[in-house]
Amino acid sequence: MIRPLLACTLSLALASTAASQQDVTAFTNATVLPGGAPAMREATMIVAGGKVVALGSADAVEIPVGAVVVDCAGKTITPGLIDASFMTSVTADDANEQSDEVTPHLRILDSLDPEDPMMRRARRGGVTTVHVMPGTQNVIGGLGCVVKTHGSDPDQMVVKQDATMRIVMGSEPSNRNRAIRGGRIESMYYRRPTTRMGVVWAVRRAFFDAQEAMQKTQGAPDQGPPSPGIEVLTQVLQGKMTAVTTARSEQDLRTALRIADEFGYQTVIDEAQDAYMVADELAERKATVMLGAPSATDVGGGGGRDGAAPRSGTVRALADKGVKFVITTGTNTRRLPLVREAMFAARNGLGPQQALDAITIEPAKLLGVDDRIGSLAKGKDADFVIWSNDPLDPAAVAESVHIDGKPVSQLR
Amino acid sequence: MNLSLLRIAIAAAAVAVPATSQDLVAVKAKTIHTITGPSVTDGVILLQNGRIKEIGKQGEVEIPWAAKVIDASDKVVMPTWVLAHSNGGMRGSNESMQNVPWLTVADAIDPGSTFFEGMRRNGVGTIHVMPGNATLLGGTGMVLRPAGRTVEDMTMAANTGMKLSLQASGGSRLQKIREMRRAIAEIREYLADYNRQKEEFDKEKAAGAVGDDKKWEKEIDRKKQAAVDLIEKKLGGWLYVPSFAELSEAMRMGQELDLNFVLGSNLDEAMPMLQRLKKPVVLAEGLEYFETDPETREEEQFCTAKMLMDAGVPFALSLGSGGPTSNPWWQLGTCVRNGVSRKQALEALTIVPAKMIGLDEQVGSLSEGKLGNLQILTGDPLAATTWVHMVVLEGEIVYERSKDPRLQYLFEAAEEMSESGAPAKEEAPKKEEGK
Amino acid sequence: MHSIPHRLLGGLLLGALVAPTCAQDLLVRASRIVIAPGTTLTDSALLVRDGKVAYVGDEIPTEARAGARTVDYGEATVSPGFVLAATTLQSDSDLAEGAFAFTPDLRVAEAFDPWSERLEHLAPSCVTSFGMTPSPRNVAGGIGVLAKPGKERGRVLEADAFVGFSLTSAARSQEREPTSLMGARAMLSDAFETARVGVEVGPDLAVLQQVMSGARRAMVYADSYAEINAALALGQRFNFAPVLIGARDAHKVMARLAERGAGVVLPTLTATARLAELELPSKLAEAGIAFCFAGRPDQLRTSAALAVRHGLPREAAMAALTRTPATLLGQQAAVGALRQGCSADFVVVQGDLLDLGARHVATWVDGARACGADPEAPNPEERR
Repeated sequence: MIRPLLACTLSLALASTAASQQDVTAFTNATVLPGGAPAMREATMIVAGGKVVALGSADAVEIPVGAVVVDCAGKTITPGLIDASFMTSVTADDANEQSDEVTPHLRILDSLDPEDPMMRRARRGGVTTVHVMPGTQNVIGGLGCVVKTHGSDPDQMVVKQDATMRIVMGSEPSNRNRAIRGGRIESMYYRRPTTRMGVVWAVRRAFFDAQEAMQKTQGAPDQGPPSPGIEVLTQVLQGKMTAVTTARSEQDLRTALRIADEFGYQTVIDEAQDAYMVADELAERKATVMLGAPSATDVGGGGGRDGAAPRSGTVRALADKGVKFVITTGTNTRRLPLVREAMFAARNGLGPQQALDAITIEPAKLLGVDDRIGSLAKGKDADFVIWSNDPLDPAAVAESVHIDGKPVSQLR
Repeated sequence: MNLSLLRIAIAAAAVAVPATSQDLVAVKAKTIHTITGPSVTDGVILLQNGRIKEIGKQGEVEIPWAAKVIDASDKVVMPTWVLAHSNGGMRGSNESMQNVPWLTVADAIDPGSTFFEGMRRNGVGTIHVMPGNATLLGGTGMVLRPAGRTVEDMTMAANTGMKLSLQASGGSRLQKIREMRRAIAEIREYLADYNRQKEEFDKEKAAGAVGDDKKWEKEIDRKKQAAVDLIEKKLGGWLYVPSFAELSEAMRMGQELDLNFVLGSNLDEAMPMLQRLKKPVVLAEGLEYFETDPETREEEQFCTAKMLMDAGVPFALSLGSGGPTSNPWWQLGTCVRNGVSRKQALEALTIVPAKMIGLDEQVGSLSEGKLGNLQILTGDPLAATTWVHMVVLEGEIVYERSKDPRLQYLFEAAEEMSESGAPAKEEAPKKEEGK
Repeated sequence: MHSIPHRLLGGLLLGALVAPTCAQDLLVRASRIVIAPGTTLTDSALLVRDGKVAYVGDEIPTEARAGARTVDYGEATVSPGFVLAATTLQSDSDLAEGAFAFTPDLRVAEAFDPWSERLEHLAPSCVTSFGMTPSPRNVAGGIGVLAKPGKERGRVLEADAFVGFSLTSAARSQEREPTSLMGARAMLSDAFETARVGVEVGPDLAVLQQVMSGARRAMVYADSYAEINAALALGQRFNFAPVLIGARDAHKVMARLAERGAGVVLPTLTATARLAELELPSKLAEAGIAFCFAGRPDQLRTSAALAVRHGLPREAAMAALTRTPATLLGQQAAVGALRQGCSADFVVVQGDLLDLGARHVATWVDGARACGADPEAPNPEERR
């Protein structure tokens, strides 16, 4: 049922721009939505050496002699989209180290395949950078990484290797574990935690151990290096590592904030389907929310996982309360392209620029990579998408996607 | 949570209370998309007794003093959507038995279901409700309007066709096809047997073997009547074809019965066969699908609507029961994104399905004499930021967004702003992007 | 099955001899003798002494020729026996420590059963020596051996050969640490790091130190891209060039395989495999990456023939059955060719080995016929 694919997916028109990093390309007459700044009409963007070297109105930017000129009249250019909570096709078995509930030092980067079909699909939809985290079946699953969606070697695709540490609240980490009855232990799943309370207990104990280790090292500096897990937890406590807590229902959201307060670290909340119920608390703590798949909610709400009651007005509620948030595809199995998630957010009351910022500059800031990506400006990585028209239009398509100045996906 | 949902449901039902339809209603609009005719800018539509009396430019159409005026001068007016095939609005759309041709959806319709509420919110005015895809001969369907307190209130046409499905359930595809053949053969045998008996009776009567006072009294089994009608082509069939694999059997069945096809996915090889059908088809709600090349593991995306357009096969669209595909704008946008023309996309939710269900004299476009079924939109029907502002069915307002309790929390801020006249803190949700 | 005392006795008796030696020299004649891929002698002979190749062709001294028992295979071709680089002989349960995934100091030699019935299938499949790895169920399984089949029993040629690692799902599907690839990678890199830093380490970490110093080869079971990537990354960080076993996704990482000097042990190729898999051998050859065929012993000729059909030069295919696997195991001086000093392991085929229609006549291991026909045998039954 498959037609033989053309070996070359890139059309001739833009293939020339890929020839060399040294080539200078000018994209002219485009509407540029630069991310974090108002739209620019009939703008010119110059790309060379994988970076944006100039961006501005046609009269302000001079096109260098010899530059390849790509006329983008009628098209819209945005920064490459950033999915701050992206699920690859790495299986749950490989995304969760099941032998322990607390594995803070494990890296999901070790499981990535650059030819992951989900990554390819995302790239086609204009996503140039993803934040990948370990799975949600461990209480503390390990380290997330920020990678670009194109390359042949994950180490070269990495924008930030150890970007975040994931903590998971709710029922997922505990629902496979079983209580010991009758004294026979024939599986490693006979262990704590088996309840929501137990999950929190595991988090608390991990941070408590880390605190204790910190105090010990201060007293006796000659002791060897702490175990790698403790080291990561210590970094979180010291504010050197971003903690991401996955919490969906209101009770889990409150718990996530409470534990963070207890140990004095700042946490990003992931999924957060009930976030509108705790908007004040989130705003007060200046916590950022990674809102998973706003489209998954039908008008009227309901249908959330883990007891959550999400509703389509959440984006609006968070914006009104001044809670910082980004939009992600999250763990939703429906897997709408990221840009469509932003489109639904726009429909549900978010302004177009705010919706677009929530999938470009805001996630870049959240992940601490906004110096390189998330917006289009002089000196930034030339990761951008040329859309057929306004990207928040349901009929819009990503006509070409560029990473480091090179076209990596092209519409037939 | 449950209690508040219930309250919302009751409130929503109250919105749909019909007013009297004797009135004259005039709707002023910025743009009128008539679908079959040219669009009218700054137009007006005059409705009388629930039907369209006149469409024209404001100033050219005289608005009688008695007419109730709906001022949508900054909005878009177009016919309500028509769904040629839907499984919604029923308490259980699939009978657990496979072969149940005697059933009718009328007995399962729940007028208070949130499905109809959702349909009004989405601007749908005509729904052909059919049994689900899990049965073999599933029963007969009916055409409803999504407003009214009883099934009778809602009915536009009854006994509209027999649902047939080739979707494998449990067993294999081949088994399903075999079961379908057997089911139809059984009906044929029954009918042949019945006719033979009747013939014999007539012969005997002619030969004087039966008394003149005796009449042929045996009737066709009521449980088999609908299936017999299907065989005799007195009743149309609506056949669900899940994929290309079932299409050749479907084509064979189409030669014997009067069938409309409802298509699933993975149909990229099906176009030459569908061209031979010379009939419009209905597409299931999922319009895009991926196939992975087993050799290269490269994924390719297909859009059934685009393939049908290229093959010259007219088609009607469906809406999903939840998620993105439940939005008409999303379905239309998906078509256009994949290269279907805007005109053809709009027709696929209006005039094409209206023709398929035989109601194109009544609904599916705005023209004089047709039913006064129209929706007022805040913007372009294909834009994500457009909302249905109001729905009018046969001259009656059946939906108003400002009174939709489920949307109120979304627009509270916006409403407050517009009431106080204060400048917007952020861009208003309905603001349209300039293109 | 043999009774235990009998096996012990047999082991002691034959083990004492090291290799079955023939008091008399053996002169093997054939119309074609392939010494190594690319070096073929016509109408020539080999002189075998004490199970090893003593002289080749014209170098054979006349007096030695005279004293030798002659075996003449006439029109047939004699070529080096196959080296199966990695196998567990389907005895995984004996080759994996179930309780703990990190056991680099376990020794396969101790689980090697010279009387195993599974050894009987090797010689008829042209295999004359094989690397026996620990089971891929353990992340660090233990020390593998180079062993040989024989007419009656097998033997270990090198008991302390290489260390076997595994990053495949087999190593992660047990209910114990690790259950994920990231866990497996962390387990290995932590261990290597400890071994690197540690001064006095236990026998398990000592094995890893040998790997880092280049004294011991590392064979790594790795299939998917991420597994291969993990093996290469570990090799880069801890200074070793892994030999990858399986390597289904090797075509995605060609450049890095070449750059890292990694070797590849391919699984059985089947005619219905994806084109990417069928073309992998020729692509590996083009990229200059050392690779060999492994998998099911009875499919080695088929695999090589399929690879030739998909562009692999015949000579490279022959090398991938003999010389390259010997090199990947570090045993090129002992097996894999019919050079002077190498084991007299050879196969006799009527025709071309890579022609699947060509009849296999006999396999000789250590200068003794392990299976097939001996044209000079006095008993006509044996000639068949």
